[in-house]
Amino acid sequence: MTATAEHAAEDGMGPAPRAPWAVIGRAMLQALLVAMAVLVLYPLAWMALNGFRSNTEIFNDPFALPQHWSFAAYAAAWQNGVSQFVASSLLVTGVSIVTTVFISAWAAYGLTRTRIPGQPLVTGFILGGMMLSPTVALVPLVRMMQDFGLYNTHWALILLYTAFRVPFTTFLIRAYMLDLPRDLDEAARMDGASEGQIFRRIILPLCRPILVSCVILHILFAWNEYLFAMIFTNSPSTQTLPVGLTSLMSKHGTDFAQVFAAMTISALPIVIVFFLTQRYFVRGLTEGIGK
Amino acid sequence: MAHLTLRDVRKTYGHMEVLHGIDLDIPSGEFVVFVGPSGCGKSTLLRSIAGLEEISSGEFRLDGRLMNRVAPARRGIAMVFQSYALYPHMTVFDNMAFGLKIAGLPRREIRARIERAAESLQLAPYLDRFPKALSGGQRQRVAIGRAIVRDPKVFLFDEPLSNLDAALRVATRIEIARLKQAMPGTTMIYVTHDQVEAMTLADRIVVMNGGSIEQVGTPLELYRTPANLFVARFIGSPAMNVIGAESLGGTAVALDGGGITSAAAPLARGARVQFGIRPEDLVPAPAAGAPFRGRIALVEQLGEVQMVHVELDGTGAPLVAKLAGTLELAAGDAIALGHAPEAAHLFGADGDRLRPAARSAA
Repeated sequence: MTATAEHAAEDGMGPAPRAPWAVIGRAMLQALLVAMAVLVLYPLAWMALNGFRSNTEIFNDPFALPQHWSFAAYAAAWQNGVSQFVASSLLVTGVSIVTTVFISAWAAYGLTRTRIPGQPLVTGFILGGMMLSPTVALVPLVRMMQDFGLYNTHWALILLYTAFRVPFTTFLIRAYMLDLPRDLDEAARMDGASEGQIFRRIILPLCRPILVSCVILHILFAWNEYLFAMIFTNSPSTQTLPVGLTSLMSKHGTDFAQVFAAMTISALPIVIVFFLTQRYFVRGLTEGIGK
Repeated sequence: MAHLTLRDVRKTYGHMEVLHGIDLDIPSGEFVVFVGPSGCGKSTLLRSIAGLEEISSGEFRLDGRLMNRVAPARRGIAMVFQSYALYPHMTVFDNMAFGLKIAGLPRREIRARIERAAESLQLAPYLDRFPKALSGGQRQRVAIGRAIVRDPKVFLFDEPLSNLDAALRVATRIEIARLKQAMPGTTMIYVTHDQVEAMTLADRIVVMNGGSIEQVGTPLELYRTPANLFVARFIGSPAMNVIGAESLGGTAVALDGGGITSAAAPLARGARVQFGIRPEDLVPAPAAGAPFRGRIALVEQLGEVQMVHVELDGTGAPLVAKLAGTLELAAGDAIALGHAPEAAHLFGADGDRLRPAARSAA
C-alpha cells in the first residue's frame, strides 16, 4: 500500500466499495448501449457484406457471411449508372454546401454583428423559413423551375437545397456568432478592417466548429434527399443517388447483390465524412445551441 | 502630436441621453484618465473618441480636424480593450500584424515594427504562440503591442487592468507608465474606475458622473481641492468623511452632534454647510475640546496604518480615521480626534465647494 493510500484508509477516505445496484445499473446501461449499437450497425454490415455475394447466395441464405469475396456486384453497380448518380450527388451536394453555408454565415453575420432597421423582423422572416413545408411548395416550384428552364438540371436541386436549408443553417450559425465577443469586431475595425474583412478574416475562422457541423448536416440532407430529387430530375444524367438507386431496383429488381453494393457505395461517403469530422460535429452543435 | 477637442458632445440611445454635453481639451502628449463609477459614461466617451460609437451631437476634433464621421481606423487612434480582444485563431505575430497588413505595409516594414514592439514589451519569445498559450499579463502586453505597431497619435485604454490579479495589475500599471515615458508625444486616454490607477498614471484626471464631467484637474488638485462632494468622496481612499454643520461666524463651525471645529476660511454666521475631512487628516486629540468624539466600532489594522471606524457621540454618524499602525486601539474604546484647520473642506447645500481649502495635511 502506498503512503497516500494508507493515509486515505486511516482517514476513512479510501475508495468506497461499489453498491451492488450501481454495478447492475451500469451493466444494464452498457448492455443497452451495445444492443443499440448492434441495432444500428448490423443492417449496415449486412448490406455491405451482401454486396460481396451473388444473388443466388443471398436468396439461399440471406444472413450468411460471403464465402467468396467478389467485387463483381460492386463493379456492375458502378457501371450500371451508380457512377453517374454519385457524380450528380457529389456535384449537387458540394455546390449546395458552398452556397448554403456562405449565404447562411453572411446572413448570420448581418443579423448578429450589424445594426439594421427592423432586425428582429428580418431574423423572424429568415428563421420562419424553417416552418415552410417543401411538400406544400412543390407545385409552384415545379412551375417556376420549368419557366426558368432549370427543370431536370442539377441547378434545380442546388437552388432548392440552398433555399430550404438556409434558414436552419442560419439559425445554427447565428446562435454561435451571438456568443463571439464583440470586442473582436471592434478591435478589427480599429485595425482598419472592412465589414467583409472582419467577416472573412475574423468571424468566419472563429466559427469553424459550427461551420463544419453545418456542412455535415447539409451533406446528410442533400446526399439523402429524395422528394425534390425525384420530382425535379427525370434523366439518369441528372438524378442523384437516392432516386438513382430506386431506378436500379426497378431495372435489376432481382439482382439484390448489385442493389446492396450500390447502397453501400452511396452510404460510404457519408460514413467517412462523419468519422473524419465527428469531433467538430459534436463540439459545434453543443457550443452553438447551448451556452 | 495630437490635440483633442470635445465640444458639447452628446450621446443618446433612443430617448436616453448618456453623455450630457461634454466639453474637454486634451493637449498633445498628455496622459488623461477618465474615472468615475460604473455607468457614468466614461467608456461611452472613450468609444466615441475611438469612433466605435457615433456622437449624437457636438464636435470631436483631432488636431482641429472634425472626426465625427471619420472611420475608426482613419483617426490615427489605437485602442487597448478591457478583454484584450486578441484574435484567438492568430499567433501573437499575426495579431500584431493584422492592422498593418490591412493598411498595406510592406512585409519587411511589418516585421521590423513588430520585432521592435515585441522587444520593448518582452514579447519576442512568444511571437509564434497563440493567445490561449499566454498568461493574462502577456496577453495584455500583446494588446498593447498591437496598438503600438500602428504608431498611433492617440492611445486609448479601456480598463486594461481589470482582468488582471492584484500583483500583475501593479506590474502592468508600471509598464504603462514606462510606455508613456517612452512615447512622450503620444496622447493617451485611459478609462478606469480604480482611483489608484487614475492617481498614479494621470497627468490630468477627468472625473465623470451620470454622463457629465464633475471636475478636470491634476491628481493632486482633485485630491486637495475637490470641486464638489462627489469628487471629494470619489477621490481618496478611504472616502472623505462628510458631516452636516453650521457656521458659527468666522472660521468656527458647529458640527451636527455637538463638536465644534474650525475651517481655514471664514463663513457667514448661520450658513448651513457640509463639512468634509479626509480620514488621513484626522489625528488623535485630547478629549476636551476635540471636534470628533466617539466610540471605536471597528479597527482594520493594515500594519503601517489602521483604519479606525468610529461612531460619533450624539448622532452615531460613522467616521473613518486613518491612523498610525503603532497606536494601540481596539473596538469599544472611546476616542477623540482633531485636525488642522486647513485640512477641512467645506461644501454648500448644493454640494459645491465653498472655498478652496489650503493644502491637505497628508
